[in-house]
Amino acid sequence: MDQYLPIVLLLVVALAFAAGSFAASKLLGPSRPTGAKTGPYESGIVPQAPVAARFPVRFFLVAMIFIIFDIEVIFLYPWAVIYHQLNTFGLAEMAAFALVVFVSFAYLVSNGALDWGPVKKLARKAPVNLTRTTTSTVRRVPRPDQLIDGMSPRPVDSEPEPTAEPVGAGAPEA
Amino acid sequence: MIGLLSHTLVGQTVQAPATGCQVTPGKVTGLCQAFNSLHIPVEYRTILPLLVLSIGALVLLVISAVLPKRSRPGLYPLLTVIISGLAAGASVFQWIDVGNHAATKAIGNQIFYDRFSVLFMLLISVATLFGALLSDSYLQREGLDGVEAYVLMLLASTGAMLMAASAGTIMLFLGLEIMSIALYVMTAYHRRRAASGEGGLKYFILGSFSSAIFLYGAALAYGATGTTQFDEMSVFLARTTLPNDGILLGGMALLIVGLGFKVAAVPFHFWSPDVYEAAPTPFTGYMAAVAKAAGFAGLFRVLLEGFHSQEANWRPAIWLIAVLTLLVGSVLAIAQRDLKRMMAYSSISQAGYVLIGLQSASSQGTAGALFYLLTYTFIIAGTFAVIGLVQGEGEARNDLGAIRGLGRRRPGLALVMLLFLLAQAGVPFTSGFLAKFYVIAAAVNRGQYALAIIGMLAAAIAAFFYLRVGLLMYSSPEVDETKEPTDGAALAGLRPIPGFDTPREPALSQGPGAVAASSDGDGAVALLAPPEGRVEIPFTVGITLAVCAAFTIFAGVSSPVLDFAKHATTYF
Amino acid sequence: MTVPGAWYLVLAAILFGIGATGLLVRRNVLIMFMCVELMLNAVSLTFVTFARMLNDIGGQASVFFILVVAAAEVVVGLGIIVAIFRRRPEATADDLHMLKG
Repeated sequence: MDQYLPIVLLLVVALAFAAGSFAASKLLGPSRPTGAKTGPYESGIVPQAPVAARFPVRFFLVAMIFIIFDIEVIFLYPWAVIYHQLNTFGLAEMAAFALVVFVSFAYLVSNGALDWGPVKKLARKAPVNLTRTTTSTVRRVPRPDQLIDGMSPRPVDSEPEPTAEPVGAGAPEA
Repeated sequence: MIGLLSHTLVGQTVQAPATGCQVTPGKVTGLCQAFNSLHIPVEYRTILPLLVLSIGALVLLVISAVLPKRSRPGLYPLLTVIISGLAAGASVFQWIDVGNHAATKAIGNQIFYDRFSVLFMLLISVATLFGALLSDSYLQREGLDGVEAYVLMLLASTGAMLMAASAGTIMLFLGLEIMSIALYVMTAYHRRRAASGEGGLKYFILGSFSSAIFLYGAALAYGATGTTQFDEMSVFLARTTLPNDGILLGGMALLIVGLGFKVAAVPFHFWSPDVYEAAPTPFTGYMAAVAKAAGFAGLFRVLLEGFHSQEANWRPAIWLIAVLTLLVGSVLAIAQRDLKRMMAYSSISQAGYVLIGLQSASSQGTAGALFYLLTYTFIIAGTFAVIGLVQGEGEARNDLGAIRGLGRRRPGLALVMLLFLLAQAGVPFTSGFLAKFYVIAAAVNRGQYALAIIGMLAAAIAAFFYLRVGLLMYSSPEVDETKEPTDGAALAGLRPIPGFDTPREPALSQGPGAVAASSDGDGAVALLAPPEGRVEIPFTVGITLAVCAAFTIFAGVSSPVLDFAKHATTYF
Repeated sequence: MTVPGAWYLVLAAILFGIGATGLLVRRNVLIMFMCVELMLNAVSLTFVTFARMLNDIGGQASVFFILVVAAAEVVVGLGIIVAIFRRRPEATADDLHMLKG
């Protein structure tokens, strides 16, 4: 058991240090909590819900590709150890192995899996319909007070109605 | 990305001798000494179909990387058909080659080169060919066209072939994983169908769970026998009486459980209906043929070669699994209202007959099981071809109502479907009858009368729901739907059964039928009206249907196919 | 003093059991993945221990394959998870309830 003694000692020291730190901060530090202190700080605004941490799928993709290429190397070790016994055959087989890996790499590159930098628009945009404008999509309804006597003080069409336009309904009128 | 990792695995199988060598300095085993000689020690002809498929997959990937996207829609399926045709040709060459020479072990003793493995290679090549033919029109209809589906299919076939040819648990595990990983992705392939991704994840979790169990079994068997090779295991077990065989029995049990998952035998079948429903229809048919065949090839290798001397221990376990598989599969299939789910339970029940052949542990039983798997490949490809046609775009209609009145709308298609259903039910003059007959005869010859009777009973139960679908095809589409369930015993099974027929989420599929299905799921039993419009049969699907139907009749009335299977029982 | 081989086997069995239990009990898909990894690594430990006890290199060679397969498996699994949960808030298995019957 002697060989494990240093590890056990290190473990004990680590635990003692962690426990000691906690105890010291509890005992020595002043503790006067108020509601404002315990609340999370967010620019003075009380957060409604925990913010969902989202980051691009691209990170996952690169990580996954890395795992695979990384683990390939494992097969080089036993090959390297008995390289002299394997001779030409071993070289040929490893070349075949490398070729297989390279083909999948070529596939990845051609599919843009390794394109980094500014995100390219992979999905094609929906074609913009030039005839579709606010005049063609938003129906102007005259206000009731303007309908009295069937006469309006000014033409309805010229009245600006910013709130009636749905956001992003189309290109603004030229 | 997916292609990448499966390719890597294929690369490793070629690498196997390198890592199998003794690496201790100054203590080089004979295996490594073999590499010192100048002639190449890898007998490539023993894995010819595997090489054809894996190199073919690589070629497809390279072509897709070079050509612009979506340049030629029919190119990839065409190439896949050619590649799997070449693989089938290579297996035929191997069949003759093994006949001329003796069966051997090859590639650092990791591969069995015998007729058993060659038969599976032929079967898997043919199933891949059908898979490619059926996928073409389906993927174009769903807008999922691309090289990945075909690459995955070729790689899954490579893995399945490796399983059938494996001479040890580690090669079996590698084959299992190459196949399974490709199948997980194929299940989740339909990007816009939420159920597809969900089924893929379920398959993945349960599949990797079963792989781990299988592997633990392999580790325990290795500890008990000191080898991972089946033939060495068998020699060791025949020579030695273990004083304490708990580790051996535990390992054997875990190996059976792990492979039982893959073939969807009954205590381990839970994933099967979900995955069958979720996967794109042509892939479901492919999976039902290939994954099942490869899983059984593994079971035969492990139990009949590795643990041959432990027969007294594993045969009762397989007996129990076979009985459960037969009965549960047949009974639960009756409760299904979804065509693909019903076929999932049906294929569970069909696996029970192969288990009867395995349980017999005789060359007759093996021949029966091989014949069964061979004929089932054609039947299931045809069945899913028809389902793929009637379900409509977006897999909107997978319910039984989709097939109603097919006899009036497409008489030819209905006739072919009827043939496949009758073959699965085991009606004489179809291949299904002979297949069932031979496995049950094998059980009788080994004195397993109870098992034989249960097999026949399960066939009778199963005939009920096969005939129900058959009748449905020829029933009138204009029948009053509210009266439908009460006017005949034949339709009584459509009554919703608690726990089996929960209301569906309307989001499951976006078709008009799906929404209606969710509304009538909890009370009123009504078959939905069949979909409007004519069912178009694409050329590739028509060819597949014709070949499958012709084979189903041919294998049912004459004996060459059975002789073929009988010749494949000569193990290494 | 050296630790007897049987202890490693027992440790591996316990790890495998923890992994299997976790897979069946936990509902977070990522934790289920970790459980699968734990099971596979427990198997690796078993293989290595037996290889040591039997003085045979075959068991150690198996671990190479298990490592690579485990990595490939987890990458595919993550790929499927990312594909599914891009439009969902949480990776919980209970959310996957479409397929029933």
